[in-house]
Amino acid sequence: MSEAVIVETVRSPGGRYRRGALAQTRGDEIGIQVLKGLMKRVPQIKPEDVDDVICGCSFPEAEQGMNLGRVIALGAGLPITTSGMVVNRFCSSGLQAIADATAKIMAGWSDCIVAGGCESMSHIPMGGWIFRPHPEWGDRPMTYVSMGITAENVAADYNITREDQDKMGVESNRRAHEAIQKGLWKDQIIPIEAWKYGKDKNGQWVKTTKTFDMDDGVRWPATLENMAKLKSPFKQGGSATAANSSQMTDGAAFTMLMSAEKAKELKLKPIAKLTHYAVAGNKPEEMGVGPRYAIPKVLKLAGLKLDDIDLFEINEAFAAQAIYSCRELGIEDRYWKGEVNPNGGAIAIGHPLGCTGAKLTCQLLNELKRRKLKRGIVSMCIGGGMGAAGIYEML
Amino acid sequence: MSYEIKKAAIIGAGVMGATIAAHLANAGIESVMLDIVPPFDPSEADLKKGLTKESKAWRNSFAVNGLNGAVKSRPASFYSKKNASMVSIGNLEDNLDMLKDVDFILEVVIENLKIKQELFAKLEKVIKPDCIVATNTSGLPIREISEKMSAKNKERFLGVHFFNPPRYMKLVEVIPGETTKKEIVDYMTYFLENVVGKGVVICKDVPNFIANRIGTYDISNAVRTMLDKGLTIPELDAIIAKVLGRPGSAICGTIDLVGIDTGYHVMKNLVEAVPNDEMVKTFIPPEFMDKMLENKWLGNKTKQGFYKKTKDEKGKRVKLALDYNTMEYVPFTKPRYESVKEAGKTEGGFDDKLKALFYSEKDIAGEVVREYLCKNFIYSANRIPEICDTVYQVDNTMKWGYNHKKGPFETWDAVGVKESVEVMKTLKLKVPKKITEMLKKGCESFYTKKEDGKYYYDFDKKGYVKMEDNPKIILLPDLKAKNKVIKENAGASLVDIGDGVVCLEFRTKMNAIDGDVISMIEDSCDIVEKDFAGMVVANHGTNFSVGANIFQVLMAVQNAEWDMLDKLIHDLQYALMKMKYLEKPVVTAPAGMALGGGCEISMHGQRCQPCGETYMGLVEVGVGVIPAGGGCKELMVRCTEGLPDGIGAVLNMQPIYEKVLMNIGQAKVATSAMEAMELGYIRKTENISLNRDHQIWDAKELVLGMAKTHKKKKPDMIPVMGENLMGIARAVLFNMKHGNYMSDYDEHVTMKLAWILSGGQCLEGTFVTEDAILDREREAFLSLAGEQKTQDRIMHMLTRGKPLRN
Repeated sequence: MSEAVIVETVRSPGGRYRRGALAQTRGDEIGIQVLKGLMKRVPQIKPEDVDDVICGCSFPEAEQGMNLGRVIALGAGLPITTSGMVVNRFCSSGLQAIADATAKIMAGWSDCIVAGGCESMSHIPMGGWIFRPHPEWGDRPMTYVSMGITAENVAADYNITREDQDKMGVESNRRAHEAIQKGLWKDQIIPIEAWKYGKDKNGQWVKTTKTFDMDDGVRWPATLENMAKLKSPFKQGGSATAANSSQMTDGAAFTMLMSAEKAKELKLKPIAKLTHYAVAGNKPEEMGVGPRYAIPKVLKLAGLKLDDIDLFEINEAFAAQAIYSCRELGIEDRYWKGEVNPNGGAIAIGHPLGCTGAKLTCQLLNELKRRKLKRGIVSMCIGGGMGAAGIYEML
Repeated sequence: MSYEIKKAAIIGAGVMGATIAAHLANAGIESVMLDIVPPFDPSEADLKKGLTKESKAWRNSFAVNGLNGAVKSRPASFYSKKNASMVSIGNLEDNLDMLKDVDFILEVVIENLKIKQELFAKLEKVIKPDCIVATNTSGLPIREISEKMSAKNKERFLGVHFFNPPRYMKLVEVIPGETTKKEIVDYMTYFLENVVGKGVVICKDVPNFIANRIGTYDISNAVRTMLDKGLTIPELDAIIAKVLGRPGSAICGTIDLVGIDTGYHVMKNLVEAVPNDEMVKTFIPPEFMDKMLENKWLGNKTKQGFYKKTKDEKGKRVKLALDYNTMEYVPFTKPRYESVKEAGKTEGGFDDKLKALFYSEKDIAGEVVREYLCKNFIYSANRIPEICDTVYQVDNTMKWGYNHKKGPFETWDAVGVKESVEVMKTLKLKVPKKITEMLKKGCESFYTKKEDGKYYYDFDKKGYVKMEDNPKIILLPDLKAKNKVIKENAGASLVDIGDGVVCLEFRTKMNAIDGDVISMIEDSCDIVEKDFAGMVVANHGTNFSVGANIFQVLMAVQNAEWDMLDKLIHDLQYALMKMKYLEKPVVTAPAGMALGGGCEISMHGQRCQPCGETYMGLVEVGVGVIPAGGGCKELMVRCTEGLPDGIGAVLNMQPIYEKVLMNIGQAKVATSAMEAMELGYIRKTENISLNRDHQIWDAKELVLGMAKTHKKKKPDMIPVMGENLMGIARAVLFNMKHGNYMSDYDEHVTMKLAWILSGGQCLEGTFVTEDAILDREREAFLSLAGEQKTQDRIMHMLTRGKPLRN
């Protein structure tokens, strides 16, 4: 069996929902620019070397419809011989794409694949433009429950206090702010020529572009006092607020995978590999607990223990579920030591749904490299009641 | 020369200036609002925000804040927040050029003669030569403000005095200067009445004009009477209250609302301005008010004045009232007077109740009312011809500017002029000569009706003079008195309003819809179809209609008269469909509340001519049912009509039907006709009557115009989402319920609503008939009416007057 290795991983900066720098840029355009940037980073790979583009997307419709994977591949200038597809497992789609690519390469069915994710939440609402739940599922509405309600359920059922949630809210922003100040993300980001529609001097609507090169969602300084003033938009008297939940964000991230042989042939130095990947199901109404089941499942597959993992990226969909997952896994102290979400998470820089798994992969591999560590896990909860987790090993 | 105000300017962005600009926007008039550049430096906090002395944002900040204040004001100043874009802002140093094309400029700056004079000198240089120039001063003499103006500009200068809040207060006092051209005064009157929708009273250029002269006396007189009779503050407010036709805040509550300081200064100013007034002493503020001012107990704005609302140790809200002897706040208890209670129960109308109290010997309340009112009457009579020439001018200002139900002369008529003069004599009050003269001539009331109209007593001509009819004011009671009733029953009447047009008027309590009203709608349709050009549906009630008579519904349910209830709903649906598809034009003219069935009736006119102040909504879920008079159906039609053929079947109607579901499911009530358009209850293509007095005329003109080309409407077909809407509704409501935004029963009722809106077990994009939806409305209504929780909701509404969330 072949070994599948990652030779490069990049991401766009995250643009805040509707008010951020990417709010007026089409989702596919963000993906196209990131893929172009990735190709430039590895000039050894000729466009025709790329066999397939697998793109994660949670709401693949409208601008993200029409097979986003193929659209992005052609848009980025890859030849017609390069194929493309979309995978959707909601919030884990980006990681799922990398896992699928890995499996394909390991099976020997392909030797070079670009995998990742792309999502414009500003343009396609959660639930999609055309939301059609099954009309006869009166007894199973949980399938379509809103994510905010699931966070409230987790907080209420497992006693995650408002204060704990807000603390993570502040810490996430603090870490992200520090990371930006230190310039930790500069190398991993592909700047985007963001679209902007506005009126010119003559009052005519025109499109202009502006370079956007750093995540714009971080709220700093953030204080517990200010956060405590917010109310839950999901539930009257609830505890999940805009400040302790992930931001809705636009972004794309892609990773270049190939067989170890191909890398050798092209004289590329592999960075890392995805050694194991698992998805676990849980109750839809408390979907956020997913990592608590997925991480043990993937560790069991790998025959590893939590202690064998140096860094974690556990998606902060909501502070409530992230805290719960850490607590149940027994790694809450490691969060405060900076081994979980070392540079902040989705609360500070956003959760662009289908892109998130690929984005966290990019962040994790760069941080493992910087700290010269060996192993890390990317994990997230998934709408509908699931958790996904993947183990990366640096090479 | 003809004038037309298309664009206005407001100088001064305080509360008054900004809210006047807001109401001009409501009337469709764009305006420029300028204020001074802040005369101080930006604070540390301002500098942090990037504001500097030179920055535009800082230099315009007074105007910006004024506009923001008007957008946020409660009650709302704008019909719709969207109207705020019609007000452009700037400052008086950098943006004077914005004034160069305005047709009307209104100064609303601080009441300081010198500042006003200097401002006008500045404005004179930039305005158009035909720009109408006005001041909103509430008391400074127009003569003095315009003293330094050129003769040419003086001709276009006048006082235009709005009352606060301008959107809601009907009165505008117009004060011509000595040389103001008549055509300017005439045009402004026309503009204010027809475009801005106000009631205009022409005043003389005397201190405080009419309303604030008589009004300040009224309040000072009440406070004096309180002191003389040793009444407490709550006692005064319990007497000079509803039976006298006064607003709920009565005397002291009103001063708290306006501000003790404002009231105090108006009184003080009058002492100086009218030294020869025979009652000048009444205007001297009593000592306890000096202390209130010292203590900064200025009323609602400082959270304490005559009254104070606070919380006790247990956090329970308590109301306190000031004891002006000890200057301490004591717990408030509502005083009860036998005489007031009895008067309230007296058979007959307002006049009879007032009369009962005025002559009551039961307790001190009668005595207080007699003395207070007699002094008011005498004072008002003595002000003619000093402040104006006619009694109706005084009456109109007090009704329109102070929310009194009747002006002093109308009140005087109510208690009887002749009898009250006897009372005055026993109170040793000096009866004005002009009144004894009037009585001697055998004229025993200030107003009288004759065959050809209404007359008022003119002190100068010493006899009755006919009041001018305004053809735009159609008064149904007057027409009824002239035998213009075509048909009537206990619930409604059909009145001939001339030119072949009839008006269907409801006359039940709160204009609730019952069997009588429904049968009258049907009968009216038959009559109109046969004999008339068209029909207006309107009335003069405070509220167009508050909806179905839910008492009748509850009785039917409790007696298990299901067939009767089914028939009642069926009849309403039938009547409204008949109206909608009548061969002759029907225009509904809602004003005030048009809720539930009232909203349904409004929606079933072929056209609608709403009053600006229309509060409309389908609020049935509040009593646990759903609109069943065609409300669901018609909102579905309104929200899906206008699509080109072939679109309805393929369009994603999810956002449309979610909007319909939420409007009805959350009982959304529009707070203006414009908001009703935004919610879909009124078509956006309709016109709005800003002046309610003109509304029936406006609607009649619309009928006449339509009648020329009217053809019976083709039946509507409604594109629906079928079962898919049920899935959407279930998912949306599930989240709302789990977020504690609705109860289980709310969800149940709203799912019934979704069942109606889904249109049936059909494919998304299917077109269904109106009848199909009406049948579902009826079925859902009956099924909900049979449920205990719905009955509990109805009972709660009947007994408590507010919805129950169970």
